[in-house]
Amino acid sequence: MEAKPSTANLVDKIVVPGDVVLDLSSMTNQTIKLGGGLRQECDSVSVIKAGKLRFSKPNKYWVESSQKRYVPCVEDTVLGIVVDCKADNFFVDIRGPTIAFLPVLAFEGGTRRNIPKFEIGSLLYVRVVKANPGMNPELSCTDASGKAAEFGLLKDGYMFETSTGLSRMLLSSPTCPVLEELGKQLSFEIAVGLNGRVNAESPSTVVLVSNAIMNSESLSAVQQKIMVDKLLQRIK
Amino acid sequence: MEFVSPEGLRLDGRRPTEMRQLRAEIGNVAKADGSAVFEMGNTKVIAAVYGPREVQNKSQQMSDQALVRCEYSMANFSTGDRMRKPKGDRRSTEISLVIRQTMEACILTHLMPRSQIDIFVQVLQADGGTRSACINAATLALQDAGIPMRDIVTSCSAGYLNSTPLLDLNYVEDSAGGPDVTVDKVIYVDFALNGRVKASVLWDLWLYFGSYGLKET
Repeated sequence: MEAKPSTANLVDKIVVPGDVVLDLSSMTNQTIKLGGGLRQECDSVSVIKAGKLRFSKPNKYWVESSQKRYVPCVEDTVLGIVVDCKADNFFVDIRGPTIAFLPVLAFEGGTRRNIPKFEIGSLLYVRVVKANPGMNPELSCTDASGKAAEFGLLKDGYMFETSTGLSRMLLSSPTCPVLEELGKQLSFEIAVGLNGRVNAESPSTVVLVSNAIMNSESLSAVQQKIMVDKLLQRIK
Repeated sequence: MEFVSPEGLRLDGRRPTEMRQLRAEIGNVAKADGSAVFEMGNTKVIAAVYGPREVQNKSQQMSDQALVRCEYSMANFSTGDRMRKPKGDRRSTEISLVIRQTMEACILTHLMPRSQIDIFVQVLQADGGTRSACINAATLALQDAGIPMRDIVTSCSAGYLNSTPLLDLNYVEDSAGGPDVTVDKVIYVDFALNGRVKASVLWDLWLYFGSYGLKET
């Protein structure tokens, strides 16, 4: 009925499923890398997830979206909650489509004799090792070289859940404005999982830190600074 | 009864090809992975999406694609008289099936094997066109949940009263007894996923009108 709409430059704009991002028939002899949220259909590349379209030179396109449900990817660091212990694996909930397995030997210096004992409900900082679609993901408490790094049980602190977009913002470098402002006045420690879970630890201001982080998702840098200042005035 | 006045105005003052006011909000249900509230005039519908998550009934698990489940219900207070049975009656089962088939055609289920996606739609205020509002709300909720989809699905109803084709019927026009059609379309790919028609007359004309309304949606 109507011709396909022209593929205006949608980079850095909000896109919805069905938007055609690139028309490949007009681009020949180029290699393009498509990241998450994009799909190739014959001669066009269209969006399958709502979000912001990003482009990084020379040839990478992807859609940045923020959801509550996490999709496991290899080499992501996440915060998981132990739900069960079996002979070979711990069952850990990482807010994904399926429960993840953490092998009992995936710890630094782990042998059959010194298997750690985690209670059901403990919070762990782990790394995703295998994440194939349709299979349960596999985790590990060591980094790639086998050292413990900082993986393992998180004992103290307050854990809250956010969206995946906010966790990516907290882990971005340079430091995101809300953490920088909070850091100027308070001392605290946070463990951020890419699956939307954040564990905050602070001697006396844990609630303020967690509220500041939860409020900062849709604010710009300047608005974040103002919000943090307002919260900090309450404890002065 | 006169549904279209001689000047060409309907009972609520609209022109025959004019749609009701549309309003949408996303993220209302905090617990759900995705949610949306969609209003078409006085019809208000809330949709919540959970998933992809573990299949609860292992016998229904599919090894190569995701299982899509949908439940449509009307709140007791949504219609003029209080409803006795909000779900489980034949109409609700039929509409649940229609929404499930429509969304399943659009979701890229092969990307999420062995998982389940639940779509719950509830009508809060019913004033005609609830089926269309539900599909529009479900689309928005699925996008809020970040579930990969081929395209956006939009839906609109159209009817024929007093020898005039009408777009986006409200309750009075819907229950007038004339034929009506609900069309769901995918924006760029341009095919009709699902069409329910009560009489076979003038099918082309309604399809045209239904599509016209969808472009506005």
